[in-house]
Amino acid sequence: MQSKETSTPQIKRSKLPKQIRQGFGIIVLLLILWRLYLVFGVEQEYTVDIWARLLISGLVIGGVYSLIAIGYTLVYGILRMINFAHGEVMMVGTFAGYLVLEATKSITVPTPDNSLLSFSNAYPIISVILAFAIGMLIAATTGYFLEKIAYRPLRKAPRLIPLISAIGASIFLQNFAQLLFSPQTRDYVNPDIISRGAGWTMMINDSKVILPYTGVLTFVLSILLMIGLYTMIKKTKLGKAMRSVAMDKQTAALMGIDVNVIISRTFIISGALAGAAGVMWGLHNGLVYYFVGFLPGIKAFTAAVMGGIGNIPGAMLGGMLLGLMESLGPTALGISYQLKDVISFVILIVILIFRPNGILGEALSEEKV
Amino acid sequence: MNRQEFQKFSQHGLVFAIIMIFLVLVDFQTMFATVISKILGTNVLRGGLPEVQYMVIFLVLYSLWMGWFISRKEENKSRRIIMTLVASLTAGVVVGLFGLILNSLIQSGTDVRRYLAALSPESMKLFLLNLDGLGPLALLGVFTVSGLLGGVLSIILQSPSVGKWPKTIKTGISSTWQKFTGSLPPFIRKNAKYLAYLVLGIVIIVLPTRWGSYNNFVTGLVGLYIILGIGLNIIVGLSGQLVLGFAAFFAMGAYSMALLNAPLPHGLMWGFWPALLVGVLMAVVAAILLGLPMMRLRGDYLAIVTLGFGEIIRILLKSDLLSDFSGGPRGIQDIKGPTIFGLPFNNDVQFTYLIIAGVILAIFVYNRLENSRTGRAWLAIKEDAIAARATGINVQRNKLLALCIGAAFAGLAGAFFAARNQFTGPNDHTLMVSINILSIVIVGGMNSIPGIILGAFTLKGLPEILREMENYRLLVFGGLLVFMMIARPEGLWPAKRPQLEKKIKPDTRDGDTPGKGDKNE
Repeated sequence: MQSKETSTPQIKRSKLPKQIRQGFGIIVLLLILWRLYLVFGVEQEYTVDIWARLLISGLVIGGVYSLIAIGYTLVYGILRMINFAHGEVMMVGTFAGYLVLEATKSITVPTPDNSLLSFSNAYPIISVILAFAIGMLIAATTGYFLEKIAYRPLRKAPRLIPLISAIGASIFLQNFAQLLFSPQTRDYVNPDIISRGAGWTMMINDSKVILPYTGVLTFVLSILLMIGLYTMIKKTKLGKAMRSVAMDKQTAALMGIDVNVIISRTFIISGALAGAAGVMWGLHNGLVYYFVGFLPGIKAFTAAVMGGIGNIPGAMLGGMLLGLMESLGPTALGISYQLKDVISFVILIVILIFRPNGILGEALSEEKV
Repeated sequence: MNRQEFQKFSQHGLVFAIIMIFLVLVDFQTMFATVISKILGTNVLRGGLPEVQYMVIFLVLYSLWMGWFISRKEENKSRRIIMTLVASLTAGVVVGLFGLILNSLIQSGTDVRRYLAALSPESMKLFLLNLDGLGPLALLGVFTVSGLLGGVLSIILQSPSVGKWPKTIKTGISSTWQKFTGSLPPFIRKNAKYLAYLVLGIVIIVLPTRWGSYNNFVTGLVGLYIILGIGLNIIVGLSGQLVLGFAAFFAMGAYSMALLNAPLPHGLMWGFWPALLVGVLMAVVAAILLGLPMMRLRGDYLAIVTLGFGEIIRILLKSDLLSDFSGGPRGIQDIKGPTIFGLPFNNDVQFTYLIIAGVILAIFVYNRLENSRTGRAWLAIKEDAIAARATGINVQRNKLLALCIGAAFAGLAGAFFAARNQFTGPNDHTLMVSINILSIVIVGGMNSIPGIILGAFTLKGLPEILREMENYRLLVFGGLLVFMMIARPEGLWPAKRPQLEKKIKPDTRDGDTPGKGDKNE
């Protein structure tokens, strides 16, 4: 048995990491501020048009991250598990959209003036809508089966078990896509009107800044989807049921809510959002391959944590912020663009050290933790 | 049978048919037929196709399994037959329709490989059993007949007379084993454990010199992963912290060895042993730096943070920022091997010995730790951190200690790895390495040394031997992880401790598993 005298110093000692944390944080903050001062105050190497370009790309990527992050947050809010395979669901959506666009490209239709055009160029709006619809549908199906096969049997298992199952599912989906579509990188076939690089041209500081159509499409669509989701969560019966299941599964079940159905629908919704994000990613970045979902997935998770996991507006905000930081960060800090992935991981670590509940997150109660 | 039941059974069949179609889409069936052909003694040239009878064997096996799987839980025999008939007919029809599509693809000469890379005309033809137009019908026949046979098989296997067989065989083996041990002289019986160690030792010493460099290479790889698995098991299995960036510590060891013991980029030739020591120390330092701020985080947050840490290390190693210091994406070459008493180590046999020595050291340290005060503290923290703190365990310090010791093992393995390959680069330390190690621990069995050894052999050794499976390794592996978590979360060779704990409870029968368990008490 330990006496009181010996246990008191132990309590004191356990405070040490907190001081280290604070010291570490202050050092990091000072370093960043110094760097920013150098870049903006002393060097002034970059002009406004460069910042405008970076801002545009940051907002676009931020929209994509937000959509994926919402998927993480929804699932985490209800099951308290990290859906590690969520990035792969997005990848499935990207591929589905790619196949649709590829198919519409290969079909030719006669135009009024009797020349032959491919379907995707003759009716770009319809084919893009089709790509989004099918991408979302397939991704939602993937999400549904993912939950049914890999997570549902583990509902009552210890926490590590579903996470490992999710990692397994992620590896499985990635490699299935690799075997199915071969490891090569493919070009996304946009309809000509919204091909990459096309866009409205603005003159800032006497230099051209292009506001790409795909970027505007991505940003607007992601905002619309987020508004739609938010209204759904707040206003509809399904949203209410989802919120109540997230609060307390047992009580929700007692109130007559079928918890399994709600969980399934949560996965369908988050899968559909990820699918939309995937098609956007493809349209805007123009590349698709089996690994395309991995990094956005991890980063969107970072975004969800940043905003406060389990919190939907938090995920949106986190995604936008992360997109901006990732896009502006390397230039603002004056480091190589190769290290942009490092920035988001460092942000994740720093946030978890200082504010594990995220920007908008409530303090998690012991049960939720 | 009513309509609802009919629907249910045909749904079962549909699921199996869809699985089959997905397998065909990635050309899994050809690989499987090749493996079967190899097992049955007909070697298939690399890139070639197996003969058609092996494809038939694969399909028959698959549908036997389907029939067995669907009907295994049904009590009534006649219902079982109907069930499997409905299910396998559905599966046969669906697969047959799929075969028709494939056949029309072959006939029209469309090359689908642009989109579905694995679907080559040759393998499609093989899947249709080289029968062209009759192929779909043949598939329908094979699926229906052998699915039905599977149902019959499950009836036979579960009938009381056959159901006793495993037990009879088991008791037969154990009685002969007892007779055999009883007939041995008492000296051998008393020291059986040591004799077994002696035999194992002789095998370990003799085998590497006999079986060629490729097998040594595989053994060395498996050995390294055993060390890594044991190290990660201290963190994940004993102290219950999920770390997904274990490759970062591995990289610390490997890069320390590379930077200190290679002509380029720094020309430091410290020799193997000091570099090894520095590698282990660097891994521990990294663990402290990561661990101090992170100890407060719980399970899945810790997992993601360590994942991020691992990726940061890899990206930094790959970037131009550090390319002058650590070789950048090209890595570091010509890493020198160790010398003992002036004797240089340069072939695979000697490295295998070195790695085996490392494995033995790791097992020894692990065993001492597991049963020590610290080890029990770790287990207490894993079960319930708050209760552990209430009993006077310093949770944070013990967690950090576990992380450091685990990282030290990774540093050791990393240093060996770099010296053995004479090369290390950023691509040796990807996230996949971390996940591989974690899977070895989980698939083998947490907290169980034999389990980890078995896991390392199955996940690292087996794919090296079965090279046909190369492309499908990760696919199978991902599926296996999910399956294991659902069907057997305790691993292939579960740890003994939970069973021992069960035994202590008064309401469990004793004497159920005599022998091994009691000795350890």
